[in-house]
Amino acid sequence: MIPLILGISLISFFVMYAAGDPIKIATMGNPSITEAQRQFLREYYGLNDPIPLQYLRWLDHFIHGDFGKSIYGGRPVNEIIGSLVWETAKLQIVSIVLSFLISIPAGIYAAVKQRTIFDYLISGISIFGISVPVFWFGIILILIFSFHLGILPSAGAHGAPYLWPVFGIRNEILDEIAHLILPATVLIFSSLAYYVRLLRAGMLEVLRQDYILAARASGISERKILYKYALKNAITPLITLLGLSIGSMLAGAPITETVFSWPGLGRAYVTACERLDFPLIMGITMIIAIMILIANLIIDLVYAWIDPRITLE
Amino acid sequence: MDRPKNNFRIGERVMSKIRRRGASQWAVAWRRFKKHRPGLFGLGMVIALFIIAAFHNVIAPYPARPHSDAFKPLYEGKAAQPPSWEHPFGTSVMGTDVFSEVIHGSIYTIYVAIMVTLITTTLFVLVGLISGYMGKFVDDVLMRITEVFLVFPSLLFILLFARIYQLAIPEPFWDLFGIKIPVGLTIVVIIVSIFGWPSYARVIRGEVLRLKECEFIQAAKSLGASSWWIITRHIFPNILPQVIVLATLTMASAVLVEAGVSFLGFGDPNTITWGRLMQEGFQDFSTVWWVEVFPGLAVFLTVLAFNLLGDGLSDALNPRLRE
Repeated sequence: MIPLILGISLISFFVMYAAGDPIKIATMGNPSITEAQRQFLREYYGLNDPIPLQYLRWLDHFIHGDFGKSIYGGRPVNEIIGSLVWETAKLQIVSIVLSFLISIPAGIYAAVKQRTIFDYLISGISIFGISVPVFWFGIILILIFSFHLGILPSAGAHGAPYLWPVFGIRNEILDEIAHLILPATVLIFSSLAYYVRLLRAGMLEVLRQDYILAARASGISERKILYKYALKNAITPLITLLGLSIGSMLAGAPITETVFSWPGLGRAYVTACERLDFPLIMGITMIIAIMILIANLIIDLVYAWIDPRITLE
Repeated sequence: MDRPKNNFRIGERVMSKIRRRGASQWAVAWRRFKKHRPGLFGLGMVIALFIIAAFHNVIAPYPARPHSDAFKPLYEGKAAQPPSWEHPFGTSVMGTDVFSEVIHGSIYTIYVAIMVTLITTTLFVLVGLISGYMGKFVDDVLMRITEVFLVFPSLLFILLFARIYQLAIPEPFWDLFGIKIPVGLTIVVIIVSIFGWPSYARVIRGEVLRLKECEFIQAAKSLGASSWWIITRHIFPNILPQVIVLATLTMASAVLVEAGVSFLGFGDPNTITWGRLMQEGFQDFSTVWWVEVFPGLAVFLTVLAFNLLGDGLSDALNPRLRE
């Protein structure tokens, strides 16, 4: 997994630095800056050295937990990321947990009631979820629930200093929840379809097995059969998908976070890309790569817990 | 001794006659596809999109953006008007007719869908075939690379690359035999394609691995057929249905990703794609909502059409995968 981190950092670093002079881009809007001042800035950020040397220096700092300073404003990247990562994690964890909680009963039910209206309804909703552009869906939700009905906030993660009133109550926790509802709905909707389809296919496969027939014959309740015997076998591909999609959920977030002005990593990445703020881009890329690795490690542990046939090496 | 020398040839001729009598694989698939109503609906929508794109200059009441007539509603004092009979999708703050812009944008959508699909499909078929057939070391290396691509959110790389090349676009259009090729959009297409192949390469690899163990491949091998012969004559025709389905799904995701990239402002600054229209309207979408809703609806319907078509094709071409 170390090569993965190295590879990702190498690709992004060399692509960025092949692109051109970040100082020139950063100071483009400032007509009164002199070439000498630009030279000073380049010296300050160490951009005059050969690129491989810059990479090695960056790597050295990275190993020591230092991502350098943002070209815009000079704030340390660690500090910027530290202030954003919790917001992104909050949004992602809520949407992942909720999409699992929704997709498991929906997938099971769609498999049990195969070829009924309910099954077709779930298939219909899934294909809608796969096809709908997240930004468009987010905008529609904002138009309906924020501007037309006025019951949910349209932007940000907090309403401070004026808390959003939920049923007339101004409370910090309720305010956070109110801000979460719309972006989480968009994220859940876009990932739900994959989970439901996969679980439905897995359940159909498992329910045909002999041991389910045996369990039914021995009079075990249908509920127990579905949730204890069948689900445990059908859920493994879902967990694989979860491992793979943790990265893409963080990546799906740039668009969602931009639409909802969510103060998270994804939106910061988009702004950093716009300004070509290289240290910040590198920092966010590496943080996401590390988060993916940690998530995959946890997934491996969950695998071994769910399926005793898999042993950890 | 009076055995004909080329009895193998004769056998083949007889076989071909027998084969001609029965319905071909494709005819059977088409018969199955015709029963799949959502798939037919998707096909209809895709055909409609192609017709709209082909006649976009005829259908759209106003010309495309660089032309000054595109801003006619502005001069008539009709900027930022809500939908009406005259302007079915309303007019933008800049004073352009949104309906015309959406119609003109369809041609870029089709360009993106087809180009990304061509490049991505070539890549994933090649990687899947090589990885599955060669096995061992080559397979190991290719699959590790695929995993990196798969696990890391490719959108981040796509945005970064798109932004960097956005700054380096040499000229807005290339003239290719009188057809204007948008350079920036082509760059976006290439970037999206480069990051689009990995998951499908794994699907193809799985298929190849399964086929490799089949008896007809073993038979061909024991008759001394070369790898090239086996891959082109035996394996490729067998994965072709799967490739067609995956290519259709690639079209859907290509349109979606391009729209997202353009929406964030990382697309081609010289072409007015649907995502670009939405990016322009995003500033004041609370009041001028029609500039956001209609181009987004166009993206949604296009992606939906390709997805439905892919589902229908999947059921028709891969009956083995049906429950």
